[in-house]
Amino acid sequence: MANKSKLFDDAVASLTSLPGIGKRSATRLVLHFLSRPQEEAIDFVQTIENLVKNIKYCKKCHSIADDEICPVCASAKRDQSFLCIVESVRDVMAIEETGQFRGVYHVLGGIISPIEGIGPEDLNIETLKSRLQEDGIKEVLMAISPTIEGETTIYYLSQIIAPLGISVSTISRGVSFGGELEYTDEVTLGRSILARLPYNIDKE
Amino acid sequence: MMGLELANLFNLLNYWAKSSYLCRMYLQSIRLTQFKNYGQRKFDFNARFNVVTGHNGVGKTNLLDAIYVLCMTKSFFGGTDRNIIRKETDFARLAGIFRMEGGMKQMDVVAKVIKQKKKTFEVNGKVYDRLLEHVGRLPVVMIAPDDTLIATGGSEERRKFADNTLSQKNPAYLSALVRYNRLLKQRNALLKSKSGWLDMNLLQSYNDQLLEPAEYIFSARKAWTDALTPLFNEYYSLISGAREEVSIAYKSPLSQDAFSVLLDKSLEKDKILERTTVGIHRDDFVFFMEEMPLKRFASQGQRKSFVIALKLAQYQFLAQASPELPILLMDDIFDKLDRERVANLVEVIGESGFGQVFITDTHPTRVSELLDIPHQVIDID
Ligand SMILES: [Zn+2]
Repeated sequence: MANKSKLFDDAVASLTSLPGIGKRSATRLVLHFLSRPQEEAIDFVQTIENLVKNIKYCKKCHSIADDEICPVCASAKRDQSFLCIVESVRDVMAIEETGQFRGVYHVLGGIISPIEGIGPEDLNIETLKSRLQEDGIKEVLMAISPTIEGETTIYYLSQIIAPLGISVSTISRGVSFGGELEYTDEVTLGRSILARLPYNIDKE
Repeated sequence: MMGLELANLFNLLNYWAKSSYLCRMYLQSIRLTQFKNYGQRKFDFNARFNVVTGHNGVGKTNLLDAIYVLCMTKSFFGGTDRNIIRKETDFARLAGIFRMEGGMKQMDVVAKVIKQKKKTFEVNGKVYDRLLEHVGRLPVVMIAPDDTLIATGGSEERRKFADNTLSQKNPAYLSALVRYNRLLKQRNALLKSKSGWLDMNLLQSYNDQLLEPAEYIFSARKAWTDALTPLFNEYYSLISGAREEVSIAYKSPLSQDAFSVLLDKSLEKDKILERTTVGIHRDDFVFFMEEMPLKRFASQGQRKSFVIALKLAQYQFLAQASPELPILLMDDIFDKLDRERVANLVEVIGESGFGQVFITDTHPTRVSELLDIPHQVIDID
């Protein structure tokens, strides 16, 4: 079954390592590269190389950036006292798409799940604490998936945030978040940001 | 607040009304594709009574399990979904046509189990997002030879029995249970993951979130135990002909103290054992016969009538709670029952309080001879 060329087979093998790409699509892509001028493939490879070598993570919000600080954190037009906590960079992108949020972000880099070995210390929570104390944050919106792990993360964080006198809200239930968020349509997501719900820990 | 007696009366009236109007759900036909030992097979059923006969190993139990799967989204016998796919094939498909008197007139339920893929369930062409939404829409009770484990096995068997009933009665129960179990698993993983330092804020987050589902499950199980006992007594005496008083007691740590207090008290123990040692996952139900715990003394025959009565009580409990009479599946239940008890049992399920019944028997005519209502014999051989 093997092709005559090992070079060809290697290229197919490395493409199939990508999510959602099977052997059939990989073969088609490799054949496509071969049918086009060399420069196109070289450009393509260089773009990826540039990306992985030079991309930075914003020192403040941990979203992707070309500089130390991302354009959102650096913008004077954004409300720097309104913080939206999300699970991943994908969520930042989805919320930015809606154009409904004028504050800034904080990317946790995951949600708390001891079953998967992820505890609070594995997330960007220390930097969150210092931002909450030093950046004049007045309101926090938690845009985290309403799964059990997401709710635990929200609960855990609100135990930290509430004593600081900062108001906490969540996005209404029924809107999927984190991972799924990019599939939620923009209008629904935008509306749910505007209609956020205050979050309180009720004990007794 | 409605008085207890008034509430009972109301239930009784409700139940009479239901059985006299024959508000009945039934499975009209089933089509099996590569389910367990079946290749392709279609069966048509009687709306009231079906006797499934055939030699051992032809698939009588599997046919009953197929019906169970369509109602409960999983096999009665547990195990992974892969086990319901016929050997050396890649998928199984089950399709059932359910007819009902009220509301939706017909439910076409299709279950697809494909190797290495998520199992899907659809009703009238609409696929469920979450399988647990289906549980309770088609109430079902299975009586099987292994049921004696409910009386003799570990507490897990009895919790499973309670959960099976209450999940079918109320979708909120199943949601609370799923939520509780997930939080418990996370809490246990947290206790296990930290040998030295434990994040008390995170532990508290789990404790606080566990309270609501735990209290909900506790009160549902408690109310269920109370409601089941009179039904249970009635069926026990009908089947066994005996007058022994039988009862069920619910034993839960939550009846001693508020769950939040119990969690705080057991903190040190939980840390040492690295798991949650208190909660509704430790509940048990104790069965009594004449105020003696059943486990200790009952004979095999007594235990058998005992668990059959328990299952029939479960059936009536669900019948009272649901707009439809549940489907009753009885698999090979005559073993170890004497002739008199078999006759009593067939008489009971032939009465108007029961809906569609499926009964398997290796003996081709035994049930038919005892039944005085129209029925259908399905010979699988
Ligand atoms: Zn930033």
